[in-house]
Amino acid sequence: MPSSQAPSIAGAAIDPPTLRDPTLDDALIERVDRAALHDRVLALRAAGTTMLLDIGAVDYPERTPRFDAVYHFLALPKKQATVAEVGTPKRIRLLVGVPVNDPVLPSLTNLWKNADWPEREIFDLFGIVFSGHPNLKRIQMPHDWEGAPLRKDYPLRGPAREKTPRPAFALKSNVPAGAPPSGKVAQALERQTRRTGDS
Amino acid sequence: MDVVHREGNTMTLSMGPQHPSTHGVLQVIVEVSGETVERADMEIGYLHTGIEKSAENLFWTQASTVIERMDYLSPLSNAMCYVLAVEKLLGVTEKIPERARQVRVLLCEAARIASHCVWLGTHAIDIGAISCFWYAFDIRENILDLTEQAGGARMHPNYLRVGGLNGDLPQGFLSKLDELIAKFPERMRELRTLLQNNPIWRDRTIDVGVLSLEDALAWGATGPVLRASGIAYDVRKAFPYSGYEGYEFDVPVRTEGDAYARFLVRLDEMDEAMRIIRQVRKRLDTPGPIAVDDPKIIAPPKETIVLSMEALIHHFKMVSEGFRVPPGDVYQAVEGPRGELGYYIVSDGGNRPYRVRTRPPSLYNLQCLKQLAVGGLIADMVVTIGSLDPVFGEVDR
Repeated sequence: MPSSQAPSIAGAAIDPPTLRDPTLDDALIERVDRAALHDRVLALRAAGTTMLLDIGAVDYPERTPRFDAVYHFLALPKKQATVAEVGTPKRIRLLVGVPVNDPVLPSLTNLWKNADWPEREIFDLFGIVFSGHPNLKRIQMPHDWEGAPLRKDYPLRGPAREKTPRPAFALKSNVPAGAPPSGKVAQALERQTRRTGDS
Repeated sequence: MDVVHREGNTMTLSMGPQHPSTHGVLQVIVEVSGETVERADMEIGYLHTGIEKSAENLFWTQASTVIERMDYLSPLSNAMCYVLAVEKLLGVTEKIPERARQVRVLLCEAARIASHCVWLGTHAIDIGAISCFWYAFDIRENILDLTEQAGGARMHPNYLRVGGLNGDLPQGFLSKLDELIAKFPERMRELRTLLQNNPIWRDRTIDVGVLSLEDALAWGATGPVLRASGIAYDVRKAFPYSGYEGYEFDVPVRTEGDAYARFLVRLDEMDEAMRIIRQVRKRLDTPGPIAVDDPKIIAPPKETIVLSMEALIHHFKMVSEGFRVPPGDVYQAVEGPRGELGYYIVSDGGNRPYRVRTRPPSLYNLQCLKQLAVGGLIADMVVTIGSLDPVFGEVDR
Protein backbone atom coordinates (compact mmCIF):
# COMPACT_ATOMS: atom_id res chain seq x y z
CA MET A 1 0.00 0.00 0.00
CA PRO A 2 1.41 3.41 -0.88
CA SER A 3 2.35 5.54 2.08
CA SER A 4 0.06 8.51 2.54
CA GLN A 5 2.83 11.04 3.03
CA ALA A 6 6.57 10.52 3.32
CA PRO A 7 7.60 12.12 6.62
CA SER A 8 10.63 14.34 6.90
CA ILE A 9 13.31 12.70 9.02
CA ALA A 10 13.56 15.79 11.21
CA GLY A 11 10.15 15.31 12.78
CA ALA A 12 7.68 18.04 13.58
CA ALA A 13 8.48 21.64 12.92
CA ILE A 14 7.38 23.94 15.72
CA ASP A 15 8.40 27.34 14.43
CA PRO A 16 11.31 27.42 11.94
CA PRO A 17 11.15 31.22 11.37
CA THR A 18 12.25 31.74 14.99
CA LEU A 19 15.28 29.53 14.35
CA ARG A 20 16.49 31.43 11.35
CA ASP A 21 19.89 32.98 11.02
CA PRO A 22 19.16 36.76 11.13
CA THR A 23 21.71 37.53 8.43
CA LEU A 24 20.11 35.09 6.03
CA ASP A 25 18.14 37.35 3.70
CA ASP A 26 17.76 40.96 2.77
CA ALA A 27 14.15 41.53 3.84
CA LEU A 28 13.06 43.45 6.93
CA ILE A 29 11.06 40.96 8.94
CA GLU A 30 8.25 41.74 11.33
CA ARG A 31 5.71 39.63 13.13
CA VAL A 32 2.35 41.38 13.22
CA ASP A 33 -0.81 40.56 15.10
CA ARG A 34 -3.69 39.96 12.72
CA ALA A 35 -5.83 42.65 14.37
CA ALA A 36 -3.07 45.15 13.70
CA LEU A 37 -2.35 43.98 10.14
CA HIS A 38 -4.50 46.54 8.36
CA ASP A 39 -3.03 49.47 10.29
CA ARG A 40 0.50 48.20 9.83
CA VAL A 41 0.01 47.89 6.07
CA LEU A 42 -1.45 51.40 5.91
CA ALA A 43 1.58 52.68 7.81
CA LEU A 44 3.89 50.87 5.39
CA ARG A 45 2.08 52.45 2.48
CA ALA A 46 2.45 55.87 3.99
CA ALA A 47 6.17 55.16 4.48
CA GLY A 48 6.64 54.50 0.77
CA THR A 49 5.92 50.81 0.22
CA THR A 50 4.46 50.71 -3.25
CA MET A 51 4.07 47.08 -4.20
CA LEU A 52 2.52 44.01 -2.66
CA LEU A 53 4.85 41.34 -3.97
CA ASP A 54 3.24 38.19 -2.72
CA ILE A 55 1.06 36.57 -0.10
CA GLY A 56 1.79 33.01 0.95
CA ALA A 57 0.92 30.76 3.86
CA VAL A 58 2.59 28.02 5.87
CA ASP A 59 1.03 25.37 8.08
CA TYR A 60 2.68 24.41 11.39
CA PRO A 61 0.26 21.84 12.87
CA GLU A 62 2.05 21.62 16.24
CA ARG A 63 2.09 25.31 16.88
CA THR A 64 -0.43 27.82 18.21
CA PRO A 65 -1.47 29.75 16.17
CA ARG A 66 -1.27 27.07 13.55
CA PHE A 67 -0.87 29.05 10.30
CA ASP A 68 1.44 31.81 9.22
CA ALA A 69 0.40 34.15 6.45
CA VAL A 70 3.50 35.60 4.82
CA TYR A 71 3.28 39.01 3.13
CA HIS A 72 6.10 40.39 1.02
CA PHE A 73 6.22 44.08 0.11
CA LEU A 74 8.56 46.11 -2.02
CA ALA A 75 9.30 49.84 -1.86
CA LEU A 76 9.73 50.95 -5.48
CA PRO A 77 9.68 54.59 -6.55
CA LYS A 78 6.27 55.96 -7.50
CA LYS A 79 7.54 57.69 -10.62
CA GLN A 80 9.59 56.74 -13.65
CA ALA A 81 12.98 55.60 -12.44
CA THR A 82 16.28 54.43 -13.85
CA VAL A 83 18.27 51.52 -12.45
CA ALA A 84 20.27 53.89 -10.26
CA GLU A 85 17.13 55.55 -8.93
CA VAL A 86 15.58 52.20 -8.06
CA GLY A 87 18.80 51.15 -6.31
CA THR A 88 18.17 48.35 -3.83
CA PRO A 89 14.54 48.80 -2.84
CA LYS A 90 13.45 47.82 0.65
CA ARG A 91 11.82 44.41 0.86
CA ILE A 92 9.54 43.85 3.83
CA ARG A 93 8.14 40.58 5.11
CA LEU A 94 5.21 40.46 7.51
CA LEU A 95 4.41 37.22 9.29
CA VAL A 96 0.87 36.98 10.63
CA GLY A 97 -0.25 34.09 12.82
CA VAL A 98 -3.70 32.61 12.15
CA PRO A 99 -5.32 30.18 14.62
CA VAL A 100 -6.97 27.07 13.23
CA ASN A 101 -10.24 27.42 15.16
CA ASP A 102 -10.85 30.91 13.81
CA PRO A 103 -8.97 31.06 10.47
CA VAL A 104 -9.88 34.61 9.46
CA LEU A 105 -7.67 37.40 8.15
CA PRO A 106 -8.59 40.88 6.95
CA SER A 107 -8.45 41.10 3.19
CA LEU A 108 -6.05 43.57 1.62
CA THR A 109 -8.02 43.83 -1.62
CA ASN A 110 -9.24 47.32 -0.71
CA LEU A 111 -5.62 48.48 -0.48
CA TRP A 112 -3.96 46.43 -3.19
CA LYS A 113 -5.86 45.16 -6.20
CA ASN A 114 -3.46 42.30 -6.73
CA ALA A 115 -4.27 40.75 -3.35
CA ASP A 116 -7.30 39.19 -5.04
CA TRP A 117 -5.81 36.01 -6.52
CA PRO A 118 -3.24 35.15 -3.83
CA GLU A 119 -5.89 35.51 -1.12
CA ARG A 120 -8.22 33.25 -3.05
CA GLU A 121 -5.38 30.79 -3.42
CA ILE A 122 -4.73 30.69 0.32
CA PHE A 123 -8.45 30.30 0.95
CA ASP A 124 -8.46 27.44 -1.55
CA LEU A 125 -5.35 25.58 -0.43
CA PHE A 126 -5.24 26.38 3.31
CA GLY A 127 -8.85 27.16 4.19
CA ILE A 128 -8.06 30.60 5.60
CA VAL A 129 -10.96 33.03 5.15
CA PHE A 130 -10.28 36.63 4.11
CA SER A 131 -12.99 38.88 5.47
CA GLY A 132 -13.93 41.66 3.10
CA HIS A 133 -12.76 39.85 -0.04
CA PRO A 134 -15.23 40.55 -2.85
CA ASN A 135 -15.08 37.17 -4.57
CA LEU A 136 -13.73 34.55 -2.19
CA LYS A 137 -14.01 31.21 -3.96
CA ARG A 138 -11.68 28.39 -4.95
CA ILE A 139 -9.18 29.31 -7.63
CA GLN A 140 -6.81 26.38 -8.27
CA MET A 141 -8.89 23.40 -7.21
CA PRO A 142 -12.29 22.60 -8.78
CA HIS A 143 -15.14 24.55 -7.22
CA ASP A 144 -16.70 21.48 -5.57
CA TRP A 145 -13.48 20.23 -3.97
CA GLU A 146 -13.43 19.37 -0.30
CA GLY A 147 -10.52 19.99 2.04
CA ALA A 148 -7.50 22.26 2.00
CA PRO A 149 -4.77 20.46 0.03
CA LEU A 150 -1.72 22.34 1.28
CA ARG A 151 -2.47 21.69 4.94
CA LYS A 152 -0.01 19.23 6.39
CA ASP A 153 -2.74 16.78 7.44
CA TYR A 154 -4.04 16.52 3.88
CA PRO A 155 -2.51 13.37 2.38
CA LEU A 156 -0.49 13.43 -0.82
CA ARG A 157 -2.02 10.13 -1.88
CA GLY A 158 -2.93 6.85 -0.28
CA PRO A 159 -5.92 5.07 1.20
CA ALA A 160 -7.81 8.23 2.03
CA ARG A 161 -7.53 9.37 -1.58
CA GLU A 162 -8.73 5.99 -2.83
CA LYS A 163 -11.87 6.24 -0.71
CA THR A 164 -12.76 9.67 -2.06
CA PRO A 165 -15.60 9.20 -4.52
CA ARG A 166 -14.98 10.18 -8.08
CA PRO A 167 -15.69 13.92 -8.22
CA ALA A 168 -18.77 14.89 -10.16
CA PHE A 169 -16.91 17.16 -12.58
CA ALA A 170 -15.28 14.20 -14.39
CA LEU A 171 -17.84 14.38 -17.19
CA LYS A 172 -15.80 12.68 -19.87
CA SER A 173 -15.47 9.51 -17.86
CA ASN A 174 -17.97 6.74 -18.51
CA VAL A 175 -18.04 5.96 -14.83
CA PRO A 176 -20.91 7.69 -13.04
CA ALA A 177 -20.08 10.13 -10.29
CA GLY A 178 -19.68 8.61 -6.87
CA ALA A 179 -19.05 5.10 -8.18
CA PRO A 180 -16.32 3.08 -6.47
CA PRO A 181 -13.17 2.16 -8.44
CA SER A 182 -14.11 -0.29 -11.20
CA GLY A 183 -11.43 -2.80 -10.32
CA LYS A 184 -10.27 -3.03 -13.93
CA VAL A 185 -6.70 -2.14 -13.00
CA ALA A 186 -6.65 -4.74 -10.26
CA GLN A 187 -8.01 -7.37 -12.68
CA ALA A 188 -5.41 -6.52 -15.30
CA LEU A 189 -2.65 -6.78 -12.74
CA GLU A 190 -3.97 -10.12 -11.56
CA ARG A 191 -4.14 -11.46 -15.12
CA GLN A 192 -0.58 -10.35 -15.70
CA THR A 193 0.73 -12.06 -12.57
CA ARG A 194 -1.17 -15.22 -13.45
CA ARG A 195 0.37 -15.26 -16.92
CA THR A 196 3.90 -14.79 -15.58
CA GLY A 197 3.17 -17.56 -13.08
CA ASP A 198 2.18 -19.94 -15.90
CA SER A 199 5.28 -19.50 -18.02
CA MET B 1 -15.87 30.84 -28.41
CA ASP B 2 -19.20 29.80 -27.01
CA VAL B 3 -22.08 32.09 -26.32
CA VAL B 4 -22.91 31.59 -22.68
CA HIS B 5 -25.53 34.23 -22.25
CA ARG B 6 -27.17 36.98 -24.23
CA GLU B 7 -29.05 39.95 -22.83
CA GLY B 8 -30.00 43.00 -24.83
CA ASN B 9 -26.87 44.31 -26.52
CA THR B 10 -24.55 42.50 -24.14
CA MET B 11 -23.30 39.04 -24.89
CA THR B 12 -21.34 36.90 -22.45
CA LEU B 13 -18.74 34.76 -24.16
CA SER B 14 -16.46 32.11 -22.80
CA MET B 15 -13.05 32.26 -24.40
CA GLY B 16 -10.83 29.31 -23.60
CA PRO B 17 -9.55 27.29 -21.85
CA GLN B 18 -8.65 25.59 -25.13
CA HIS B 19 -8.49 28.75 -27.23
CA PRO B 20 -5.03 28.92 -28.89
CA SER B 21 -4.51 32.62 -28.30
CA THR B 22 -4.88 32.28 -24.54
CA HIS B 23 -1.36 30.79 -24.50
CA GLY B 24 -2.29 27.77 -22.50
CA VAL B 25 -5.33 27.10 -20.41
CA LEU B 26 -6.77 30.46 -19.50
CA GLN B 27 -10.51 30.90 -19.57
CA VAL B 28 -11.75 34.45 -19.96
CA ILE B 29 -15.44 35.11 -19.51
CA VAL B 30 -15.99 38.33 -21.43
CA GLU B 31 -19.05 40.51 -21.57
CA VAL B 32 -19.07 42.23 -24.92
CA SER B 33 -21.26 44.89 -26.36
CA GLY B 34 -20.70 44.64 -30.08
CA GLU B 35 -16.94 44.22 -30.30
CA THR B 36 -16.15 46.15 -27.14
CA VAL B 37 -15.24 44.33 -23.95
CA GLU B 38 -17.24 45.57 -20.97
CA ARG B 39 -15.99 43.11 -18.41
CA ALA B 40 -13.43 40.32 -18.36
CA ASP B 41 -13.32 37.66 -15.65
CA MET B 42 -10.60 35.10 -15.67
CA GLU B 43 -10.74 31.52 -14.56
CA ILE B 44 -7.38 29.87 -13.86
CA GLY B 45 -6.41 26.58 -12.27
CA TYR B 46 -6.91 24.28 -15.26
CA LEU B 47 -3.25 23.30 -15.07
CA HIS B 48 -3.03 23.00 -11.30
CA THR B 49 -0.73 20.07 -10.62
CA GLY B 50 0.06 20.57 -6.95
CA ILE B 51 3.77 21.17 -7.49
CA GLU B 52 4.16 22.92 -4.13
CA LYS B 53 2.58 19.95 -2.36
CA SER B 54 4.72 17.47 -4.30
CA ALA B 55 7.87 19.39 -3.46
CA GLU B 56 7.15 19.03 0.27
CA ASN B 57 7.32 15.27 -0.16
CA LEU B 58 10.58 15.04 -2.09
CA PHE B 59 14.21 15.36 -1.02
CA TRP B 60 15.74 18.81 -1.44
CA THR B 61 17.48 17.71 -4.64
CA GLN B 62 14.48 15.86 -6.03
CA ALA B 63 12.19 18.83 -5.42
CA SER B 64 14.03 20.93 -7.99
CA THR B 65 12.90 18.40 -10.61
CA VAL B 66 9.23 19.29 -10.14
CA ILE B 67 9.97 22.95 -9.51
CA GLU B 68 11.61 23.20 -12.93
CA ARG B 69 8.27 22.31 -14.43
CA MET B 70 6.51 25.43 -13.16
CA ASP B 71 7.69 27.86 -15.81
CA TYR B 72 8.20 25.34 -18.57
CA LEU B 73 9.49 27.93 -21.03
CA SER B 74 12.51 28.79 -18.90
CA PRO B 75 12.94 25.88 -16.48
CA LEU B 76 16.45 26.96 -15.58
CA SER B 77 15.28 30.22 -13.98
CA ASN B 78 13.09 28.25 -11.59
CA ALA B 79 15.91 25.86 -10.80
CA MET B 80 18.29 28.79 -10.31
CA CYS B 81 16.00 30.52 -7.83
CA TYR B 82 15.32 27.34 -5.89
CA VAL B 83 18.96 26.25 -5.57
CA LEU B 84 20.02 29.76 -4.57
CA ALA B 85 17.39 29.76 -1.81
CA VAL B 86 18.44 26.36 -0.50
CA GLU B 87 22.09 27.36 -0.67
CA LYS B 88 21.28 30.40 1.46
CA LEU B 89 19.65 28.17 4.07
CA LEU B 90 22.66 25.85 3.97
CA GLY B 91 25.02 28.82 4.25
CA VAL B 92 27.11 27.78 1.25
CA THR B 93 26.31 30.73 -1.04
CA GLU B 94 29.85 32.08 -0.76
CA LYS B 95 31.40 28.69 -1.42
CA ILE B 96 29.85 28.05 -4.83
CA PRO B 97 32.76 27.90 -7.29
CA GLU B 98 33.10 30.66 -9.85
CA ARG B 99 32.66 28.33 -12.82
CA ALA B 100 29.37 26.98 -11.51
CA ARG B 101 28.04 30.53 -11.13
CA GLN B 102 29.14 31.41 -14.65
CA VAL B 103 27.52 28.37 -16.21
CA ARG B 104 24.33 29.10 -14.27
CA VAL B 105 24.25 32.66 -15.56
CA LEU B 106 24.97 31.44 -19.08
CA LEU B 107 22.14 28.93 -19.09
CA CYS B 108 19.66 31.29 -17.43
CA GLU B 109 20.32 34.00 -19.98
CA ALA B 110 20.04 31.45 -22.78
CA ALA B 111 16.74 30.35 -21.26
CA ARG B 112 15.59 33.97 -21.21
CA ILE B 113 16.27 34.25 -24.93
CA ALA B 114 14.53 30.94 -25.63
CA SER B 115 11.51 31.97 -23.57
CA HIS B 116 11.25 35.33 -25.31
CA CYS B 117 11.48 33.49 -28.64
CA VAL B 118 8.40 31.43 -27.78
CA TRP B 119 6.63 34.57 -26.61
CA LEU B 120 7.50 36.45 -29.80
CA GLY B 121 6.57 33.58 -32.11
CA THR B 122 3.20 32.91 -30.52
CA HIS B 123 2.38 36.58 -29.97
CA ALA B 124 3.06 37.24 -33.65
CA ILE B 125 0.87 34.32 -34.70
CA ASP B 126 -1.97 35.73 -32.58
CA ILE B 127 -1.73 38.93 -34.55
CA GLY B 128 -1.43 37.14 -37.88
CA ALA B 129 2.29 37.25 -38.64
CA ILE B 130 3.02 33.57 -39.14
CA SER B 131 6.54 33.52 -40.59
CA CYS B 132 8.06 35.22 -37.54
CA PHE B 133 7.38 32.06 -35.57
CA TRP B 134 9.89 30.00 -37.58
CA TYR B 135 12.67 32.56 -37.23
CA ALA B 136 12.12 32.75 -33.49
CA PHE B 137 11.93 29.00 -33.04
CA ASP B 138 15.15 28.55 -34.96
CA ILE B 139 17.05 30.43 -32.24
CA ARG B 140 15.19 28.54 -29.55
CA GLU B 141 16.09 25.23 -31.16
CA ASN B 142 19.79 26.08 -30.94
CA ILE B 143 19.40 26.95 -27.28
CA LEU B 144 17.53 23.76 -26.51
CA ASP B 145 20.36 21.85 -28.20
CA LEU B 146 22.79 23.55 -25.85
CA THR B 147 20.65 22.68 -22.84
CA GLU B 148 20.50 19.11 -24.02
CA GLN B 149 24.26 18.92 -24.37
CA ALA B 150 24.81 20.35 -20.92
CA GLY B 151 22.14 18.53 -18.95
CA GLY B 152 20.93 15.66 -21.09
CA ALA B 153 17.42 16.95 -21.71
CA ARG B 154 16.05 19.66 -23.94
CA MET B 155 13.51 21.25 -21.64
CA HIS B 156 13.96 20.04 -18.09
CA PRO B 157 17.58 19.03 -17.63
CA ASN B 158 17.69 19.31 -13.80
CA TYR B 159 21.25 20.41 -14.39
CA LEU B 160 21.55 23.00 -11.62
CA ARG B 161 22.01 21.30 -8.28
CA VAL B 162 22.09 22.60 -4.74
CA GLY B 163 25.82 23.25 -4.32
CA GLY B 164 26.77 23.57 -7.96
CA LEU B 165 26.11 21.74 -11.19
CA ASN B 166 25.48 18.17 -12.17
CA GLY B 167 28.69 17.67 -14.13
CA ASP B 168 30.88 19.97 -16.17
CA LEU B 169 30.05 21.22 -19.65
CA PRO B 170 30.71 18.48 -22.20
CA GLN B 171 33.19 18.63 -25.04
CA GLY B 172 31.85 20.48 -28.03
CA PHE B 173 29.54 22.67 -25.95
CA LEU B 174 31.62 25.80 -26.30
CA SER B 175 31.96 25.48 -30.08
CA LYS B 176 28.17 25.12 -30.36
CA LEU B 177 27.80 28.17 -28.15
CA ASP B 178 30.19 30.09 -30.39
CA GLU B 179 28.04 29.18 -33.39
CA LEU B 180 24.97 30.54 -31.63
CA ILE B 181 26.76 33.73 -30.63
CA ALA B 182 27.90 34.24 -34.21
CA LYS B 183 24.48 33.61 -35.69
CA PHE B 184 22.38 35.53 -33.17
CA PRO B 185 22.81 39.18 -34.33
CA GLU B 186 21.75 38.31 -37.87
CA ARG B 187 18.67 36.44 -36.62
CA MET B 188 17.70 39.31 -34.35
CA ARG B 189 18.08 41.73 -37.22
CA GLU B 190 15.70 39.57 -39.26
CA LEU B 191 13.16 39.45 -36.45
CA ARG B 192 13.29 43.19 -35.99
CA THR B 193 12.96 43.75 -39.75
CA LEU B 194 9.89 41.53 -39.81
CA LEU B 195 8.05 43.36 -37.07
CA GLN B 196 9.48 46.49 -35.57
CA ASN B 197 8.55 48.92 -38.34
CA ASN B 198 5.83 46.77 -39.86
CA PRO B 199 2.79 49.09 -40.19
CA ILE B 200 0.30 46.31 -39.42
CA TRP B 201 2.23 45.27 -36.33
CA ARG B 202 2.45 48.88 -35.14
CA ASP B 203 -1.26 49.43 -35.76
CA ARG B 204 -2.17 46.38 -33.78
CA THR B 205 0.11 46.97 -30.79
CA ILE B 206 0.62 50.72 -30.29
CA ASP B 207 -1.78 52.13 -27.67
CA VAL B 208 -3.21 48.69 -27.03
CA GLY B 209 -3.38 47.38 -23.46
CA VAL B 210 -1.89 50.49 -21.91
CA LEU B 211 -0.79 49.91 -18.32
CA SER B 212 0.02 53.11 -16.46
CA LEU B 213 2.85 53.22 -13.98
CA GLU B 214 0.50 53.52 -10.97
CA ASP B 215 -1.52 50.55 -12.15
CA ALA B 216 1.60 48.48 -12.81
CA LEU B 217 2.63 49.02 -9.18
CA ALA B 218 -0.87 48.39 -7.86
CA TRP B 219 -1.16 45.11 -9.77
CA GLY B 220 2.30 43.97 -8.68
CA ALA B 221 3.55 43.69 -12.25
CA THR B 222 7.27 43.00 -12.58
CA GLY B 223 9.71 42.22 -15.34
CA PRO B 224 9.19 43.53 -18.88
CA VAL B 225 5.61 44.55 -18.06
CA LEU B 226 6.76 46.92 -15.30
CA ARG B 227 9.77 48.10 -17.27
CA ALA B 228 7.61 48.99 -20.27
CA SER B 229 5.66 51.25 -17.90
CA GLY B 230 8.69 53.22 -16.78
CA ILE B 231 10.40 51.68 -13.74
CA ALA B 232 13.75 50.02 -14.40
CA TYR B 233 13.40 47.46 -11.62
CA ASP B 234 15.44 44.37 -12.42
CA VAL B 235 16.29 41.86 -9.68
CA ARG B 236 19.68 41.26 -11.32
CA LYS B 237 20.58 44.89 -10.62
CA ALA B 238 18.62 45.52 -7.43
CA PHE B 239 19.52 42.30 -5.58
CA PRO B 240 22.42 40.79 -7.58
CA TYR B 241 22.91 37.05 -7.32
CA SER B 242 25.21 34.44 -8.84
CA GLY B 243 27.75 37.05 -9.90
CA TYR B 244 25.49 39.31 -11.99
CA GLU B 245 27.20 42.33 -10.46
CA GLY B 246 30.29 41.33 -12.46
CA TYR B 247 28.65 41.63 -15.90
CA GLU B 248 27.98 44.72 -17.91
CA PHE B 249 24.44 45.01 -19.18
CA ASP B 250 21.70 47.60 -19.45
CA VAL B 251 18.11 47.33 -18.33
CA PRO B 252 15.85 48.30 -21.25
CA VAL B 253 13.02 50.57 -20.13
CA ARG B 254 10.18 52.34 -21.95
CA THR B 255 7.49 54.68 -20.73
CA GLU B 256 4.51 54.09 -23.03
CA GLY B 257 3.22 50.99 -21.21
CA ASP B 258 1.45 49.57 -24.26
CA ALA B 259 1.87 46.25 -26.06
CA TYR B 260 4.40 47.74 -28.45
CA ALA B 261 6.55 49.01 -25.58
CA ARG B 262 6.53 45.57 -23.98
CA PHE B 263 7.52 44.12 -27.36
CA LEU B 264 10.47 46.50 -27.65
CA VAL B 265 11.58 45.91 -24.06
CA ARG B 266 11.66 42.17 -24.62
CA LEU B 267 13.55 42.43 -27.91
CA ASP B 268 16.14 44.69 -26.25
CA GLU B 269 16.33 42.24 -23.37
CA MET B 270 17.22 39.46 -25.78
CA ASP B 271 20.13 41.55 -27.04
CA GLU B 272 21.22 42.30 -23.48
CA ALA B 273 21.01 38.62 -22.57
CA MET B 274 23.28 37.82 -25.50
CA ARG B 275 25.66 40.53 -24.30
CA ILE B 276 25.90 38.75 -20.94
CA ILE B 277 26.37 35.39 -22.68
CA ARG B 278 29.29 36.79 -24.67
CA GLN B 279 30.92 37.99 -21.45
CA VAL B 280 30.42 34.61 -19.77
CA ARG B 281 31.80 32.83 -22.81
CA LYS B 282 35.14 34.63 -22.43
CA ARG B 283 35.45 33.44 -18.84
CA LEU B 284 34.53 29.82 -19.54
CA ASP B 285 37.88 28.90 -21.09
CA THR B 286 39.40 28.61 -17.63
CA PRO B 287 38.55 25.21 -16.17
CA GLY B 288 37.67 24.90 -12.51
CA PRO B 289 35.54 23.04 -10.00
CA ILE B 290 31.80 23.00 -10.73
CA ALA B 291 30.42 22.18 -7.29
CA VAL B 292 31.18 22.78 -3.63
CA ASP B 293 33.70 20.37 -2.19
CA ASP B 294 31.27 18.91 0.33
CA PRO B 295 30.14 15.30 -0.14
CA LYS B 296 27.32 15.95 2.35
CA ILE B 297 25.61 18.20 -0.22
CA ILE B 298 26.83 17.01 -3.62
CA ALA B 299 27.39 13.29 -4.10
CA PRO B 300 30.90 12.38 -5.26
CA PRO B 301 31.24 11.46 -8.96
CA LYS B 302 29.70 8.11 -9.77
CA GLU B 303 32.95 6.58 -11.02
CA THR B 304 34.64 7.08 -7.64
CA ILE B 305 32.30 4.68 -5.88
CA VAL B 306 34.20 1.65 -7.17
CA LEU B 307 37.46 3.07 -5.84
CA SER B 308 36.60 4.43 -2.44
CA MET B 309 34.45 3.05 0.36
CA GLU B 310 33.82 6.56 1.63
CA ALA B 311 32.53 7.74 -1.74
CA LEU B 312 30.23 4.73 -1.86
CA ILE B 313 28.79 5.57 1.55
CA HIS B 314 28.29 9.22 0.65
CA HIS B 315 26.58 8.17 -2.53
CA PHE B 316 24.33 5.75 -0.70
CA LYS B 317 23.40 8.34 1.91
CA MET B 318 22.68 10.94 -0.76
CA VAL B 319 20.41 8.63 -2.72
CA SER B 320 18.61 7.06 0.23
CA GLU B 321 18.03 10.07 2.48
CA GLY B 322 19.39 13.17 0.80
CA PHE B 323 20.85 15.89 2.99
CA ARG B 324 19.48 17.98 5.82
CA VAL B 325 19.08 21.74 5.73
CA PRO B 326 19.25 23.86 8.91
CA PRO B 327 15.86 25.15 10.07
CA GLY B 328 14.79 28.63 9.02
CA ASP B 329 12.98 30.48 6.31
CA VAL B 330 14.28 32.48 3.39
CA TYR B 331 12.97 34.47 0.43
CA GLN B 332 15.06 34.42 -2.71
CA ALA B 333 14.18 36.18 -5.94
CA VAL B 334 15.65 36.05 -9.41
CA GLU B 335 14.80 37.93 -12.57
CA GLY B 336 12.99 35.36 -14.66
CA PRO B 337 11.95 36.14 -18.23
CA ARG B 338 8.55 37.21 -16.88
CA GLY B 339 9.65 39.22 -13.87
CA GLU B 340 10.49 38.71 -10.24
CA LEU B 341 10.35 34.99 -9.61
CA GLY B 342 10.62 34.29 -5.91
CA TYR B 343 10.66 31.33 -3.59
CA TYR B 344 9.81 31.56 0.08
CA ILE B 345 11.25 28.35 1.47
CA VAL B 346 10.87 27.02 5.02
CA SER B 347 13.06 24.24 6.35
CA ASP B 348 12.35 22.36 9.56
CA GLY B 349 15.86 20.94 9.63
CA GLY B 350 14.89 17.84 7.68
CA ASN B 351 15.78 16.27 4.38
CA ARG B 352 12.70 17.62 2.58
CA PRO B 353 11.48 21.18 2.08
CA TYR B 354 8.89 22.03 4.72
CA ARG B 355 7.18 24.56 2.50
CA VAL B 356 7.99 25.98 -0.91
CA ARG B 357 5.92 29.04 -1.72
CA THR B 358 6.37 30.45 -5.21
CA ARG B 359 5.96 34.06 -6.18
CA PRO B 360 4.94 33.45 -9.78
CA PRO B 361 5.48 36.55 -11.92
CA SER B 362 2.93 35.42 -14.52
CA LEU B 363 0.14 35.25 -11.97
CA TYR B 364 0.54 38.89 -11.01
CA ASN B 365 1.19 40.09 -14.54
CA LEU B 366 -1.87 38.27 -15.82
CA GLN B 367 -4.17 39.77 -13.18
CA CYS B 368 -3.84 43.16 -14.91
CA LEU B 369 -5.95 41.81 -17.75
CA LYS B 370 -9.08 42.36 -15.66
CA GLN B 371 -8.42 46.04 -16.09
CA LEU B 372 -6.56 46.20 -19.42
CA ALA B 373 -9.18 44.35 -21.45
CA VAL B 374 -12.08 46.58 -20.41
CA GLY B 375 -13.01 49.20 -22.98
CA GLY B 376 -10.92 47.69 -25.77
CA LEU B 377 -11.89 45.53 -28.69
CA ILE B 378 -12.07 41.80 -28.20
CA ALA B 379 -9.33 41.37 -30.81
CA ASP B 380 -7.14 43.72 -28.78
CA MET B 381 -7.64 41.56 -25.72
CA VAL B 382 -5.82 38.78 -27.57
CA VAL B 383 -2.93 41.16 -28.21
CA THR B 384 -2.90 42.18 -24.55
CA ILE B 385 -2.81 38.58 -23.31
CA GLY B 386 0.06 37.87 -25.67
CA SER B 387 2.00 40.92 -24.55
CA LEU B 388 1.66 39.96 -20.86
CA ASP B 389 3.30 36.60 -21.69
CA PRO B 390 1.71 34.34 -19.07
CA VAL B 391 2.89 30.76 -18.62
CA PHE B 392 0.24 28.58 -17.09
CA GLY B 393 2.53 26.02 -15.59
CA GLU B 394 3.53 28.83 -13.29
CA VAL B 395 0.18 30.57 -12.80
CA ASP B 396 -1.50 27.33 -11.73
CA ARG B 397 1.45 25.34 -10.40
